[in-house]
This record gives sequence, C-alpha cells and structure tokens, in this order.
Amino acid sequence: MSQYVTLTIDGSTVRTPKGSSVLDAALAYGICIPHLCHMPTNTDVGSCRICIVEHVLNGRSKITTSCSLLAKESMVINANSERVLKMRRNIAELLVTQAPNSRAIQDIAVRCGVTETRYPFRSGTCIQCGRCVRVCSETYGAHAIGFVGRGRDRRVDFPFGVRPDYCKKCWACVDLCPMKVTPCDGPMKPGEEYLCGKCESTMNQPQFTVGSCIKCDMGEGFDCVRHAR
Amino acid sequence: MHRVESVEGLNTLSKQMRARRRSGDAVVVTLCGGTGCRASRCQDVIEAVEKELSGNGLAKKVITRVTGGHGFCEQGPIMLIGPWNLFYRRVKSDDVKEIISETVQKGRVIERLLYTDPATGDTVQNVDEVPFYTAQTPTLLSQNRRIDPRSIDDYLAIGGYTALSKVLSGMSPEEVIVEVEASGLRGRGGGGFPTAKKWAACRAASGEEKYVICNADEGDPGAFMDRCILEGNPHGVLEGMLIGAYAIGAEQGYIYVRNEYPLAVNNTREAIRQAREFGFLGENVLGSGLRFDVEIARGGGAFVCGESTALMASLEGKIGEPRPKDIHTVEQGLWNKPSNLNNVETWANIPRIICKGAQWFSDMGTENSKGTKILALTGKVRNTGLVEIAFGTSIRTVVEKIGGGSSEQGKTIKAVQTGGPSGGCLPESMFDLPIDFDILWEKGSMIGSGGLVVMDENTCMVDVARYFLNFLQDESCGKCVPCRVGVDRMLEILTDITQGRGRPEQIALLEELGETIAHTALCGLGKTAPNPVLSTLNYFRDEYEAHIHDKKCPAGVCKPLIKYSIDPDLCTGCAVCLASCPSGAISGEKGHAHSVDMRVCDRCGICLTSCHQDAVVVQ
Repeated sequence: MSQYVTLTIDGSTVRTPKGSSVLDAALAYGICIPHLCHMPTNTDVGSCRICIVEHVLNGRSKITTSCSLLAKESMVINANSERVLKMRRNIAELLVTQAPNSRAIQDIAVRCGVTETRYPFRSGTCIQCGRCVRVCSETYGAHAIGFVGRGRDRRVDFPFGVRPDYCKKCWACVDLCPMKVTPCDGPMKPGEEYLCGKCESTMNQPQFTVGSCIKCDMGEGFDCVRHAR
Repeated sequence: MHRVESVEGLNTLSKQMRARRRSGDAVVVTLCGGTGCRASRCQDVIEAVEKELSGNGLAKKVITRVTGGHGFCEQGPIMLIGPWNLFYRRVKSDDVKEIISETVQKGRVIERLLYTDPATGDTVQNVDEVPFYTAQTPTLLSQNRRIDPRSIDDYLAIGGYTALSKVLSGMSPEEVIVEVEASGLRGRGGGGFPTAKKWAACRAASGEEKYVICNADEGDPGAFMDRCILEGNPHGVLEGMLIGAYAIGAEQGYIYVRNEYPLAVNNTREAIRQAREFGFLGENVLGSGLRFDVEIARGGGAFVCGESTALMASLEGKIGEPRPKDIHTVEQGLWNKPSNLNNVETWANIPRIICKGAQWFSDMGTENSKGTKILALTGKVRNTGLVEIAFGTSIRTVVEKIGGGSSEQGKTIKAVQTGGPSGGCLPESMFDLPIDFDILWEKGSMIGSGGLVVMDENTCMVDVARYFLNFLQDESCGKCVPCRVGVDRMLEILTDITQGRGRPEQIALLEELGETIAHTALCGLGKTAPNPVLSTLNYFRDEYEAHIHDKKCPAGVCKPLIKYSIDPDLCTGCAVCLASCPSGAISGEKGHAHSVDMRVCDRCGICLTSCHQDAVVVQ
C-alpha cells in the first residue's frame, strides 16, 4: 500500500504522507492556512477554529478545522474560498476583540483580513488555545496545568490553584503562549485597545495573497509552523 | 428467583406472569409515582392508600400499582381506578378514605376529583376520553401506565423481553439491523440520524471491543421524556440495549444518566439487578452465548455532556468536553473503541419494532420520520406535560387539541419554540406544518430533544432569544472560540437591544455571526446555539426593529423600553395602585385620576396587576 495520499487543496494537487492532517499537507506545500492552537509536536484539539477549511464531499461542502481533518485520498479542500475567508475573518475578529494585547493575535487578525472591529474590546489575557496545557501534559508529561471551569469562566490553572511540585518550572508553557508577544507599540492599557494592523505594511497586499505562504514576518508573532521549520 | 436459562424458559415464564396478572373484575388502583407526581406529594397518597386498604382488609383483594409518569404531570398526583378506567387527578391524601369507601368498595364516582375539560367545561370520567390523551398516539408512554418500574414481573407480563427472545431464537445480527432499517427509526436525541445506519457502521468498524451507550443526560430545560421513560420503564431501555448490543457485537453497555434524576438512577439500578438475576444480563444470556452487561454512569449535570464525544470523555473520567468529530464515534468513541450512542427514547423503541415488526412502526409518521415522538409541551397552554404523537401531526393539533389552546382567556398564541434551547421559534402562521425532522429543520427550527414551548402575545421574542442564549452561554464548555466568545458576543448584542442600546447595524452583525457560529463551532451544541436568534430574526424581525428603531418592546416585556401610564378616563382614583407601588412612583388624590412618574418607576408591574379598572397602560 502506498505511504502517501494525494488530495486537492485550492485546486492544486498535494501529496502528503499517510496520517498527516490537511493543515500539515497544506503548509508543506506553502499554502497558507492561518492557525493558532496547532503545534507540530502535539495533538490537535481544534479549539481556535482559525484553520477552518471547506471539505467538499459528494457535492456538499462542510466547514471543519484542517488541523483535525485527516488527509485522505482524492479529498477536495477549499482552504481559501470566499465562505471560508469570511468565517475565518469573523473568528479572528472575535479573538482580537477578546485579547487585543498580543502581537500574535493582532497578526492573525491582519492575516485573516480583519479591518474593523464591530465589538467592544475586552482586555482578556488568555484566549484558551490550550498550547500550554498540551505541551505540559503531552511533551513533558508533567500535567501541572489544566483547564478549570466552564464557558466564560474556563481558565488555565494549577490543580486547586496551587503550583504542584511536579511543575519543574521549565516555562515551556510560557514560551508557547501567544499572549507573550506584546504589540510592537508596547502593551495596551485597558480601555485603550485598538486594532493594530501595523504589519499590513510588511506584507504585500494580504487580501490578494491569501492562499500562498509569503513567509510573512508575522510567523514569529503567532508561531507559525512554517516559521518554526 | 431462578435464572432463565433458555428462550423456552423465558416464554414459559412470560406465560406464567401473564396468567398471574389477569385481574378479571378485581379493582386495580394505579398511582403515578413519577417525579412530577412526587413533587405534588403522591407519596403521601400512596401511603394513605396502603394504610386504608390494609385497615379495611382489602389489601389482598385490591391490586395497587405504583407506576412511572403518565405524561399529564401538571394534574398530579394522578390515580387511575380499574376496571372502570376512572381518571382522578390532584388527589390528596385526605381524599383517599373517600376514594376507598366510595369508589373502590361501591363503585361510585367522586365528581370533584374528575378532570374538567377547560374548553367545554364537561367532566371526564374515563382516562381514554381526556382530551389531553385522545389526540395522542401513546405507544411508549402507555406502557408506563401499565407497569411498576421496580417489578420485572410486570414487565414480563406485558410482553417484556419477548423481543429479546425473538432476536436470540433465530435472527442474525444483520437481520436485526435490516429490521430496524426497515422501520425507518431515527435518533430521538436531536440529530435524527438513522439508527440502523449508525448500528451498521459500528458493526462494520474494526475492533474486538465495542460499546453501546444510552444517553440519558437530558439537559434541555423543560424536556423530561427520557427521565420519564427511564423512571417508568427501565427494562424497556435495557431490552433495547441488549438487542442493539447483539446487533453490533458489543459486550459492555453504559447508561449515562444525570445525577439530578435520582428516581431514574434508582429504578434503573434496580432493573439492572433484576435483569442480572434473571440472566438477561451477564454471561450467556438465555443460553445463546451472548455476553452483555450494563453499568450506570452518573453525570454531573453539564449540558454539554449530552453531546456524544463529551459524554464519552466524561465516561472515561476526563473533562466533559467534545472533540472534533472528523473520526466518528462509531469508529473511535469510548476509549477509542467503536461505540454506539443512542438516546433513551431510541433504545426504548427497539423492542417494539422487533416485536410488532418494522411495518407497524413505519406505518406511523411521515415519509422520512417514522414512528412516534414524545414532546414536552409547556408554556402558555392549558394542558402541559409529556405528549406522544405520531410524526406528521401538525403543530396546531398539539397546541390546540392536546394543549387546549391559550391558557389565558382572550390571548392569542403567537409562536412555538421547538427543540429546546438550541431549537428555533416558529410563528403561528406555520402551525399547520407537520412535526417532522426534515421539515422543521428546513424552516430553521428542529425537533431536537422534543421540547415545545408555546408563547402568546405577551412574550417578547427578542427576550426569548436572549433567555435561551444566556442558557447556552452559561452551559457552553468553552473549548472553541465561536461558542465561547461568539455566543457571548451575541448575548452582549441582544442584551444591548433589550435594554434600548441597540443599533441598526447590529441585526446584520447578529446574522453574520450566527451563520459563522453555526458552521464553525466544534460540536453540535455550538453549531445550533445561534438558532434561537436566527429563527426569531427570520420570523419576528419587526420586533427586533421595534426595539432598535422605536426603542419599544411590543410585548411589553423588556423593562427599560416600557412606559407605564394611567388612563385618566378609566381611573376611578381608588388609590389601590398608589398604595401598592413599592417605589412610590404613583401620585394623585383619592377620587381623581392618578399618574405615574417614570423617573421613579421600577417597572415592577404591581400597579398593572393590582388595578381593578385596567386603567394602567403599558407602552
């Protein structure tokens, strides 16, 4: 049996090892699918919903996250159709108004084409991508932090709020946190948040280059897998 | 009791039980012991009946049976007296003495305990003539009336476990699936996915170990049909699961039930114990070589745990959060093993399909929705409770015939909200639509778990949408952004609108955001979360516009948008409102028309209810 599967992403034929996700396949070919909670070394949970794509099957298309979608033979994926771009923009807008005080989130908003925010800003400090929790439990096996609470009250915390002995203070959680990169102009004060949009100038017309990876500087901001390579 | 070793043994046992049950002319007192009736103190009545009967030396002659819920919980405690099929409602323990001496001993009817049809004013004696029941097709709920849920003998006597014996004595697993497929049964939990298709996929999935799970984590506010079935007929669910396990090839089953349903948990636990004792569960069921056992898992009451993947995570002992379903649970579910999850009502339908045949089942219902569905009818109607109807019955029949129309004289019913919090609202003009999975879905609503809330002209649809969204926001697990942040933002906008801060562009924003959430949320609950808003925007846009443009709430519900005034022509100056106003906002002299100062008014509405002249006007 073949070790590879061939699928179509945005009209181009992509060959990828069996068992890899659609997101991995796309990124390897330089097709940009913005992503946030995905990390190459850990399992995907599909919580940020930024990497959504359209999966066309039997004439019907279904929106799903590409990180959790296993690449299969002769799959047809639209990663940057009008519909996907609009929804991705809406989600990025939700994220950036929730936690504007991060260059990573601001970058993603720009990349997804957010030009105005229609909701009042909230000065959130965590967008619950779960990168920290997964690196702690999966990569280091420490299980020192986890999610506590539900819905609006959900947060990352130590067990019972106390730092346990088995937390080795490796700070991997902090390293991977998208909130650790502050906006270029420094931290925003509560009540004075704004949509930064500075990186737009460093990227040639993002609205026309949605599909292809342009190796943007923003990679550093949101730890793009391609940038990490 | 001894173990039943073979199919023949079961058939003989059933015959014995049936013979033993034949009551002839004996008086049978059936008392509803469901949670609804317990809330209206049916246990006192049960105690009083037992005491009275033994005091009169009738304990051996009169058969008493405490059953699960009958559906008409609002009228509880309910008492049925056979062989006349008398229907007594709102029975109190003080009435018992009279019931025993008059009805049970002399056969006389006590008029005051009879049900009065609010539409005609006639009293009804026979339970089968109560208008609430006549328009129904009770096939599942009617079993509740006939058996004591804690007695396996009762269940055997009404033909229980015969479906199992039929399956084990000559049907192959494939034939069972074909039979279920022919019946057209679709999942009753909300999704409406064809049950046989799910079973076949789970059977075909690779893996030795497979699981069947019964989803009794009923989180929708107002819906309680699963509780009612599990309380009233736990053996029916177990039998369904046994047949499912045989068809799929599973050896272990779980019933995931909310801990808030103590009676359901207890009755199910007792049923499992009895089934194990009789040899229906465990090794070598009825000598057929089938091995199957069921365990109860109690849920902590999170709404999201009714979602299949979240339920399985919770069963595994993890946080009850859904996971992406790109790989279906029938392939990798509980502990990454193929798992088949069905709702309580779905499982309870299985034995009857096998017993009576797929044809019997598919004769009821519409082209794509077969059989019956239990709905929880609540809201502004005269009769509320559980209602079992055949698919294809119109919403109007349910609201007007079964529900008895508007509960308040002179008020018009304007909408129904179907399918629980994530369902949608349908306007009165669509009441002739048949209740059907696909038709309701097309119109922006859904059957969901089966909640049906009736609303009249005094209900503000924006406020309703806000209420349901608030519930969903509260119960969101918070894992994915569209549901956690998106629903919260929608709620923020709706709160703005109901408090008079709405802006015209927010309607378009609600629609765009709603569509995004509906397509991108992680689980089914998130995907359906914008439904209350989208459907009310679709059918009641004028109400949204009135809130935003005119800053008025047409139904007079949203407090910041309403104004009270007193009609000087109607006001007699009786000063009742003046005395009752807690904020001191009403002024005026006795004998002269009063007036309300809106700067002081709290909008509590006390003046409105206290005025005898209807002079208080809400705008």
